[in-house]
Amino acid sequence: MTTRSASPTDPTSPATEKDSPDGEPLYVLRSVERTFTKGGVSVHALRGIDLTLWAGEMVALEGPSGSGKSTLLQLLGALDLPTAGSIRFAGRELENASDRVLTRIRSEEIGFVFQHFNLIPTLTAQENVWIAMVPASTPHQAQVARAAELLDQVGLGHRVHHLPSRLSGGEQQRVAIARALANRPKVVIADEPTGNLDSKTGLEVIELLAELRDTAGVTVILATHDEEIGRRAERRVRLHDGRLVEDRAVTKARA
Amino acid sequence: MGASQLSLSRKIYRSLAACEGRATGEEVEVVSVRYAWNELRRRFGRTIVTSLGLALGVGLVMGIVGVSEGLSDAQNRILSPLGSVGTDIIVTRTVAPTTSQTTTTTTTPGGFPGRGGGRYGGGGFFAPGTAGYGAASSEATSLLNNNSSIITDLKTLGKPGTKFTHDFLVPGTLITFPAVAVKDVAKIPDVTVAVGALSLEALHETGTVPKITATVKTGGQTLSKTVKPPTLTAAQRAKEGACVQKLLQKNFGGRTVGTGPAGSSGTRGPGGGRTYNFSGFGSNSALQKCMTPAQRSYNEKYVVPEQTISEVLSAPTTNTATSTYTVAGVDPAYPDSGLITKSQLTSGTWYTRNSADEVLVNTAYASTKHLRVGGSVTINKKNYKIVGLVAPTLTGNVSDIYFTLPTVQGLASAKGYVDEVLVSVNNSANVGAVTAAIKKELPGATVLTSRTLADQVSGSLNNAHKLANGLGVALAIVVLLAAFLIAALLTLSSVAKRVREIGSLRAIGWSRGRVVRQIMAETLGIGVVGAVIGLGVGVGVCAIISAIGPGLSVTSTGLAVGASSLSNGIGLSTTGTTTLLVHLNAPVHLATVGLAFLGAIVGGLLAGAAGGWRAARLAPASALRDLG
Repeated sequence: MTTRSASPTDPTSPATEKDSPDGEPLYVLRSVERTFTKGGVSVHALRGIDLTLWAGEMVALEGPSGSGKSTLLQLLGALDLPTAGSIRFAGRELENASDRVLTRIRSEEIGFVFQHFNLIPTLTAQENVWIAMVPASTPHQAQVARAAELLDQVGLGHRVHHLPSRLSGGEQQRVAIARALANRPKVVIADEPTGNLDSKTGLEVIELLAELRDTAGVTVILATHDEEIGRRAERRVRLHDGRLVEDRAVTKARA
Repeated sequence: MGASQLSLSRKIYRSLAACEGRATGEEVEVVSVRYAWNELRRRFGRTIVTSLGLALGVGLVMGIVGVSEGLSDAQNRILSPLGSVGTDIIVTRTVAPTTSQTTTTTTTPGGFPGRGGGRYGGGGFFAPGTAGYGAASSEATSLLNNNSSIITDLKTLGKPGTKFTHDFLVPGTLITFPAVAVKDVAKIPDVTVAVGALSLEALHETGTVPKITATVKTGGQTLSKTVKPPTLTAAQRAKEGACVQKLLQKNFGGRTVGTGPAGSSGTRGPGGGRTYNFSGFGSNSALQKCMTPAQRSYNEKYVVPEQTISEVLSAPTTNTATSTYTVAGVDPAYPDSGLITKSQLTSGTWYTRNSADEVLVNTAYASTKHLRVGGSVTINKKNYKIVGLVAPTLTGNVSDIYFTLPTVQGLASAKGYVDEVLVSVNNSANVGAVTAAIKKELPGATVLTSRTLADQVSGSLNNAHKLANGLGVALAIVVLLAAFLIAALLTLSSVAKRVREIGSLRAIGWSRGRVVRQIMAETLGIGVVGAVIGLGVGVGVCAIISAIGPGLSVTSTGLAVGASSLSNGIGLSTTGTTTLLVHLNAPVHLATVGLAFLGAIVGGLLAGAAGGWRAARLAPASALRDLG
């Protein structure tokens, strides 16, 4: 999936794209709308988004609070469905998919990293990584071994048996990243992954995600407030009031 | 968390997983045991609180069930005394309760001389010619006569001031009847055995013979009264004068005596001795013959007879201590039928050849009185050897000491009399027919069967059993539901606190079903813990109830006499009721344990279902919401 050898005349390619990679896009969003209705009041979180994301990209979603970036992340993460428009993910239409299908897609093809880490407090670091593999069919011993391996990969090989409460924020987010990678997903979706970390630790986490993108070929989509973080991405998509206002490639992504 | 433990659990779940499977037939865990185990272990507070809620519910239910079972057991023991000893029917003669007032306390001043000595008045039980036999008043009279021997002049026991110990045997509330009735019953078709028995109340009195009499001398006074005699007619006077004149000439020679003036006529006392004191002539009968009848009674004197009256000055009970126990006479020729049977022996042997001097003692009575086989009991200065201890059935006829029938008849001066007939019938289907036949043969007899006895049993045991069956079951259900509700609410609250965690699980690919199963696995674990603790609580509750053993009374209006003196509330009662005290037991049956275990686990699963239902409604996107 990391090969980029498709025709450049793909009709799904966004007009704004300047440095579009070759091949089948990972996501194709067409006129996506998401309206929340609560107590008779409708909130238009997304008002028609057209967006194409390519495999292997590291994309930063930016925008102020309430701009709709979290809602967009939920749709990209197959956690939620649009009220209008279509989302195509890895060749499948998501907008009419059942909960069962969405669950399976989340399990096998998408990894999540959350602002609050969202580790299970009663499970050790290793068990937290392993828990993501529970629905999979691989043997238990292999799962446990992979969990340890992933933790080693994110630099926590020495803390596999610690409970989340005994880990620092940065360490917890590393465990979360390891968990996100557990099932070898196509994409890792990170919602403000540095929001609860100091800037130095936050940068380390972003470095880690970028490194994983390079080594594992995984697509990374992250939402952030942080300009500094945004600059680390190679593509920045800015939202405002539920509309896509800016989509540009960062040529000098990383040093 | 032991690895071996985990792998064992995994094996268990693996078989379940095979059933679950996916379309591809892969092996997938139904639940994560490790995760559930960690949740239970590391959220210990929640686990223990929820478990205790279930445990308390289950424990209380076990207690309630135990009490109910205990009551059932007690009632069964009480209600099946007859069949268990091979007796189908008991024939007695009791006073109808309606006339009880007329016969209750009877104190007669002035002692009857000696023991009453078996006056079986009222026409006897089955004696011919006793019309209106069924009338309760005649029954009451019979009973009073039966019991009259207890009203005894204590001075027959010794000189006043000396110590005495005596056992008075009285029939109590059953009226005796001639033993020939036993043979009459035995002749009825389908009757296999009819055995007579005599149950008596024994009053054991000790004390000092009181000075109970004072001698008063009365009579001896001379009473006199002068009465004016009727005036004589001229003819009478002439006749009388001639008669006297003639008499004088004959005795004294011509001396004339004039008729006196008015004489007096004494009143003749009905029993008093009469002395005629004829003034002037002594008691010369010849002279009297000359007088008119009216004048003969003239000037009578009456002397009141002298007599000595002894009167009771103080009641006989004044310095006496009385204790009661019960005795019965059984026919030693029937070791398998009757009041007690050989099978009820707990130690020792049945009566031997010297049965007249032998007794069997109620095990309960023996333990309170420290009696044992080989020892003896003394009744009215005679020793009786204890050859065995028996455990008679609870209701009906339970006595403390069992003599042979002739011995008791002798002690009670009731030779040839019994007060009950215990009948065995060849087939239980014939009990009704035999009952009718006995009633016809012995009109007025009280005929009891197991069925009628059961109907006549009442009292707090019955009430408690009804309560346990009604309210107890309702209470058990309420308690269990409350425990379930508490567990469910605690689980719901736990789920609410874990919204982000559950959302995260959904986000990383856990299906709705897996999340629900996981929560149910956790609460199942809580249910198991609750079941284990609950069993402990339940066993404890039952043990406490059994240890306290609240007493429950059983009142039987059927058989009057013979309740052991160990039971409370027995006295000389003529209302024909027997009250027994039964100690409540709360047994823990295996079924109860199983039920309790199941209850706790069902409670856990219900709580898990509630929590799971809540969790399933959580959107996976809730993991991303800012809840911090």
